[in-house]
Parts: sequence; structure tokens; C-alpha cells
Amino acid sequence: MINLRNGCGAPQNSPRPLRPPSASSALIFAFRAIVLAIVLTMASASPASAQDTPRAKALSKRVLCMCGGCEDSAGMCNHPGGTFSGPCETARGMQKDLDARVTRNESDDQILQAMVEQYGPTVLVEPPKKGFDLLAWIMPIAVPLIALVLVWEVVRRWRHKATLAPAGGPQVNAEFLARAQREAGREGSEHDE
Amino acid sequence: MDILGSFALLLAFLAAVYAVLAGIAGIITRRTLLTKSARNAGMAVFVLVTVAVGCLEYFFFTNDFSIVYVVEHSNRALPAFYKFAALWAGQEGSLLFWSWLLSIYAFLVLFLNRKRHPELMPYVGVVLAGVQTFFLTLNNFVATPFQVLAGPDGAGVMHLSKLSEGHGLTPLLQYPEMVIHPPMLYLGYTGFSVPFAFALAALLGRYPGEKWIHITRRWTMIAWCFQSIGILLGAHWAYAMLGWGGYWAWDPVENASLLPWITGTAFLHSVMMQEKRGMMKIWNVWLVFTTFMLCILGTMLTRSGVVSSVHAFAQSSIGSWFVGFLIITFLVCFAAYWKNRDYLRSDNQLDSLVSRESSFLFNNLILLAACFAVLWGTLFPVLSEWVQGSKISVGAPFFNKVNVPIALFLLLLTGVGPLLAWRKTSFDALKRNFAWPFGGGVLAGIIGFIFGFRDIYSLLCLILGVFVTLTIASEFFRGARVISARDGTNFFTAMGELTMRNTRRYGGYVIHFGMVLVFIGIAGTPFNKDLQKEMSVGESLGIGPYTILCQNFDHLDNANFESDRATLEVFKNGKSDMMLFPERRLFHASQVTETMVAIQSSPLRDLYVVYAGRSPESGKPVIHAYLLPLIKWIWFGGIVVVLGTGLALLPNRRTALVLRPATERSWADAIAGATPAIGAVARRVEGHD
Repeated sequence: MINLRNGCGAPQNSPRPLRPPSASSALIFAFRAIVLAIVLTMASASPASAQDTPRAKALSKRVLCMCGGCEDSAGMCNHPGGTFSGPCETARGMQKDLDARVTRNESDDQILQAMVEQYGPTVLVEPPKKGFDLLAWIMPIAVPLIALVLVWEVVRRWRHKATLAPAGGPQVNAEFLARAQREAGREGSEHDE
Repeated sequence: MDILGSFALLLAFLAAVYAVLAGIAGIITRRTLLTKSARNAGMAVFVLVTVAVGCLEYFFFTNDFSIVYVVEHSNRALPAFYKFAALWAGQEGSLLFWSWLLSIYAFLVLFLNRKRHPELMPYVGVVLAGVQTFFLTLNNFVATPFQVLAGPDGAGVMHLSKLSEGHGLTPLLQYPEMVIHPPMLYLGYTGFSVPFAFALAALLGRYPGEKWIHITRRWTMIAWCFQSIGILLGAHWAYAMLGWGGYWAWDPVENASLLPWITGTAFLHSVMMQEKRGMMKIWNVWLVFTTFMLCILGTMLTRSGVVSSVHAFAQSSIGSWFVGFLIITFLVCFAAYWKNRDYLRSDNQLDSLVSRESSFLFNNLILLAACFAVLWGTLFPVLSEWVQGSKISVGAPFFNKVNVPIALFLLLLTGVGPLLAWRKTSFDALKRNFAWPFGGGVLAGIIGFIFGFRDIYSLLCLILGVFVTLTIASEFFRGARVISARDGTNFFTAMGELTMRNTRRYGGYVIHFGMVLVFIGIAGTPFNKDLQKEMSVGESLGIGPYTILCQNFDHLDNANFESDRATLEVFKNGKSDMMLFPERRLFHASQVTETMVAIQSSPLRDLYVVYAGRSPESGKPVIHAYLLPLIKWIWFGGIVVVLGTGLALLPNRRTALVLRPATERSWADAIAGATPAIGAVARRVEGHD
């Protein structure tokens, strides 16, 4: 259960900003800073260092950090063993890219498709729900359903057997039976395992 | 010493091979002497592997950096308990450790049963020795832990060499759980070899009845318990060490440890069908075979790097050995089954769909579905690459989506199953048993919804958790009330008496309750919050009811590591509440940095604070704070599971035979219509479990 990633493929100490500037205009930046300050005052758990919009943040958790040194999503990238335990340069770049695409109002599908074109199919955290990869999703549902049908069939057969051979058991003395029932009543549910 | 260690390992290998061959010869020729000799060889393996383990530990404690394994996993300043644990820090040592634990189990099994089950034990010895032979082959010829450092001189002649200092233990492994988590998990993995050996032995020897299940019940529970502890300790380690606020990432190695646990759980339940009703014999045998093979698969996934895992211990070609062993194991199991399948014929009958039997069937179905889903997701990248030529990722969201509904259904069955009677449960009994717990669950759901449990899965988990807890409580309550009324004892004494009379059943309930606590802890996940901020001294960060004020940063140094430490004052609702000291440690030997998370844990929520280091951009310290609800319930649930298993392992207390004047007629008299027995009769004997 432990995690032995020793840092990222990319150098950790490069002079990239922790929180990428999301717009070039100083005016927009100032506006954003004010909005951020207000949001921070209102809701203490706002994403300060991560991404600009909840949608970008959600998307960043749907793509893997492609640095090659971790198995985290770009949004959760956190390099134990590195000099900084936060998003690495690759993850920050991907976050910035997602921010920009969300700002351009691209749809989730378009953004993920663009990511696949850029990094290959491994970038997606989940298998895509099409083609061969659809099997990844179908099988965990199909196999239990098939098993359920099999269990149902088995149960049907076993019940059939039970009706063919009703449990008669040995003949019991009536007096004993009455006594046993009295005793059983007294001991309640104690014996029913 | 390295020669002694290597020699002991080689002898252990020979002893294991001899135990297999002599064991088979003993079974065929029916010569007791051969059988005994094979058994002694099996026990000798333990002594020899212990010598080898002792040698490797000796090298660690004497800082003998002429041994490659010691160089790679230790250094002089490493604290003693990590030197001890460095035995299982790498590939070679881990495999040796596997062999050693297996040899302990094998020794105990052979020694404790030396005068029992003479028809069965020779087969058991052969199977166990067969498994040992495989691992000792790896220890001796594939991944030997006693490799010495050597290098060629100018003339190309090899010379032994020795370093003055080792590379040190990977910093991530330098955490107290390193000493306990791997042994627990390995005791689980190796422990399932025992029920496997007995099942295969019973099949091969056509050993009559359900005896192998009775013999192995405690062994299976012990292995299961170790596996549970190992998994939870691993989760706790990941939580406390990695600084990401999570405890389970659905990493292939984590999944690998979960698979045999799931099938082991299914086995522990379905054997009851065989014990009580003589049903599902084939199923049980295959379930234990599967569990063992999943243990081997788990070890293979951990050791070989077949699927990409963040547990990058050692990625080597050792996987092909495991594949070979798995194939051989499967073939042996299948051949044994095919040859002796008539021996497993059972009289399966089901009187009603609403019965304990059918609940066990569904329990097994759901557990196997979960096992399949985890296995499928873990191996799908390999399959996809094989079919399509390109790799894809199967990450945590996939596993959560697939497994959470399955787990919730399982939770429902945990509540329903134990309250159904064997054979048939009437509608009235259903109403009587379930009305209150179900009502309680719904009420808890409504209250939870009002207080913010708005995530559908979490809400369902809460409802089902309360439902299961109430069904368990009602079982204890009803049983204790009956005993209390009959014996005139007080209620709590009666509850103790009830529990001790049927430890397996009531221990099982305690385990179920522990699992409910674990589930409730997991249900808190959707409500996690986190906030990362650059913070200088004097700055603060607000998360939930807490405000974290940065007071100071200082630097500490010792022989093993130097550390940057943040001193944070935490205010709760405006009042000073506690101090937290998250650290970043730079280990001298490896030059790797590690976070030491500061956690303030309470039943309601954990405040989890990471000092992430200095921002690569501004150079200012970055604090990452998480607010994680209900996490503590997971660890507490784990403790309850272990206590429950301990309880279930205790022998049932049987009511003493009380001598009383023979004024009442016993049942036996009633049947026979005889006069009162002379002297005394036994008042009551409890014998069920």
C-alpha cells in the first residue's frame, strides 16, 4: 500500500509558477484576485492553488499527470519524494491547458479528446466507453448478471430436488415432540444458527 | 556468514524437494517411515530458512556492506527497528520472508497434527512442501539475498569488495508501519496456503466428510485476520505518509492484496453451507484453490511489475516464474478435481428462497462479483495493450464506480443474511426481525439527509450501516434476554454468556459490526475538503471550522535525516485549539525528501496538514490542509474486526454438566417412557457453533 515514486520525470525546481497566471491582462488579473479574495472570505475551502473553475478542477481529475513519474491525476498530482509535494511541472502545465480550454468554452468531450490527441489514450483516468475499451465497463456488470442467472438456475434445481424429496425425517414420539417444542420455545432464538 | 546463509537456503530447498518426493513415495508405498521422514524434512525447512533469515538480519545489524542486499536497503544511521524491517524492503528479502513465514505455518501444521489425521497429513505435507519448493527455488536460483559485492580488477579478475556505507532504506519505508504492515499482509498471503493444502489433500486422499473444513477453520480465520490487518495498516500507512489525504488509490498492488481477502471472505461464509447442510462442496474446494492462486497472483503483481504500479519495488523478469507456478498449481488442482469429482458430490437442496442458504449464495455471488470487478480493472490495461496494441489507464474513479454499488449490496446482505433461518424463514419472522432495524435505518437516513448527507451512496451507506447495526444489536439483545430470563442473571452477564457459548456466531456479528464502521468511515469521502496556500509566518488559512495560523518554520538535524518543520497554531471557531508540526525530512543516505503529515484526528473529522515544501515559483512555504470526515471510523472498525476475529477463534464455552437430583424426567426418559434415571442427568449441553 505504499507508494514508491521517487519524484517526477521533469525537474521539480524549475521556475514555473505554482499557480499559473491564467490571463495576460493585468486588469483581469486584478479582478480575479479581488473575486478570489471575496470567494476565500465567503467559503474557506475554495481552491486557492489549483484551478480557476470547478469544471477545470473536475476535468483535471479525469486526466492523468503525464510526467511518467507518478500515477496521479493532473489535479491531484502530489510527488512524495520530490523537493515539492504538489503538482509537478507537467501537471501544472496540464492544469493551465485545461484552464485555458475551459475559458475558451470548449465542451468536456472536446477537451478530453484534445488531451487524448496530445498525450495518447493513457491520459484518460478511466477507460473510454467505446470500442474494445467498453468491455472494461460492461464486464463488471455482465459477469455478475450471468452469475446471477446461473445461481438462479442452481437454486431452481435445488428447490426442485427439495420438493421431490420432502424432509420427512424419522418418526418422533409425540410426547417427546411436545416436550421438545416447549423447551425450544423457552430457549428462543438461541439455537437457530 | 553469507556462506552459512546460502548453504542453509540450499539445504532448505533440498529438504523441501525431499519432503515432496518422500511424501509421495510414502503415500504410494504406504510406508510409515517414509511419511515420517518426509514430515521431518518439511519441519527441517523451517529451521534452515530461519538460519538464513538470521544470517541476513545479522548482516543488517553488523552493517556488513559487502552484501548487495544490505548495501541497497540499509545504512549505518538507520534505526534498529528499520534495520530489522529492511529484511522485507526489497525483492530478494521479501521472497525470503515469504518462504520463512510459509515455513513457520508449515512447521506448526505438521507439528501440531503429528499424531492426528494420519490419512490426511501426508498429503498436506506434500502440498505445503511443493509450495515451499517453488519459493525456495526463487530464493536460491533467481533472487538470492546473499549476493556479495565484487568487481573486476585491471586484469579482469573478480575481487570481493566492501563499501563503508549503504544506500539507505527508501524514506517512504521509514515509517513505523513498515515494521508491521508487510509481515501482516504476508502472514495473510502465506496463511491461505494452509486451507489450500488441506483442501487439495482431502481431495487427493479422498478424505471423507467435512473434516478438512473443521481442521482448517481457525487457520483460515487467522490468515484472513492477518490479511485484514495488513490491508488496513497499508491503507493507514498510505494515509499518514503520502500526504495526499487519501488511504486507498486502487493501485494494482493494493488490489492484489484485496483479491484473496475477498475470496477468503466468501470461503469463510460458504463453508458454513457445507458444515451445516453438506452443500456446495465443489464450490468450496474451488474457492479455496482460487484464494491461494490469487495470493500467488498478488505476490506476482507486487514483485514483477507486470502492471504499472506505484509500488515500484523491483521490476524484474521474476513474473514468468510465478506464471509458471500458477499454471502448474491450476493444473494440479484441476487434475485432482477431475479425478476425484465424484467424491465432492453433495446433496444440494434448497427448501426456500428466503433462507440462510440462499443468503449465502448471494453473499458469494456478490463477493465474487467484487473480486472479478477488481481483477478485471487491474488486468484490463494488460489485456487492452495485448488486443489493441495501446495501453490505457484504469484509475480509481473506475473502481469506485464499479465497486461502490457492489459493496453497498454486500452491506445489505450483511444485515439480512444472519437473521434468516436455515432452510426457511416465514414472512412473520421476516417482519418481526427486520421491521425495527429497517425503520431505524430509514430514520437515520432522514436525520443524515437533514444534516447534510446528500451524496446518494453515502446516504445509502448510512441507512444500511444503521440497519445492519440494529439487526446485530437485536440478535444480542434477544439472545441475552432469553438467557437472562431463564438463568435469572443480569442482562450483561447473560450477553457475555451468550457470546461465549457460540463464539463463532457472535464473533462473526462483531466482525460485521466492525465492517459497518469501516463502511461509515468510507462514506465520509464525498465530503472531503482541501485547500493549498502559500503561507509565510503570520499568515493564516481557513478550512471548515478551523483557522490555521503559521507561527514559525525551523530546521532540525540528526544522523539519519534533516527536517524542515512548520509550527502551526490551529484555532477552532476562533479559539486556540492545538498546535500542529508538519515536517519535510531530507534523508542523508538517499537524498530523498519525505513529508511527515500532521494529523489531528477526532471521530467526526481529521484535520490533515501537509507542509508541501517551498513553492518552486515564489520560494514561499506551501501548506496543504485537508478536512476529512469520519476517517477515524475506518481504523476503529479495523480494530473491531480484529477483536471479533479473536472472539470467533475462542473455543465455545460448554455448559458444565450440572448434577441434580433426578426428580425431573429427562428427554431421553420421555422418549423411552422409562423411570427417572438413576443418580443424575445432564441438565443441558450446548454443542452447536
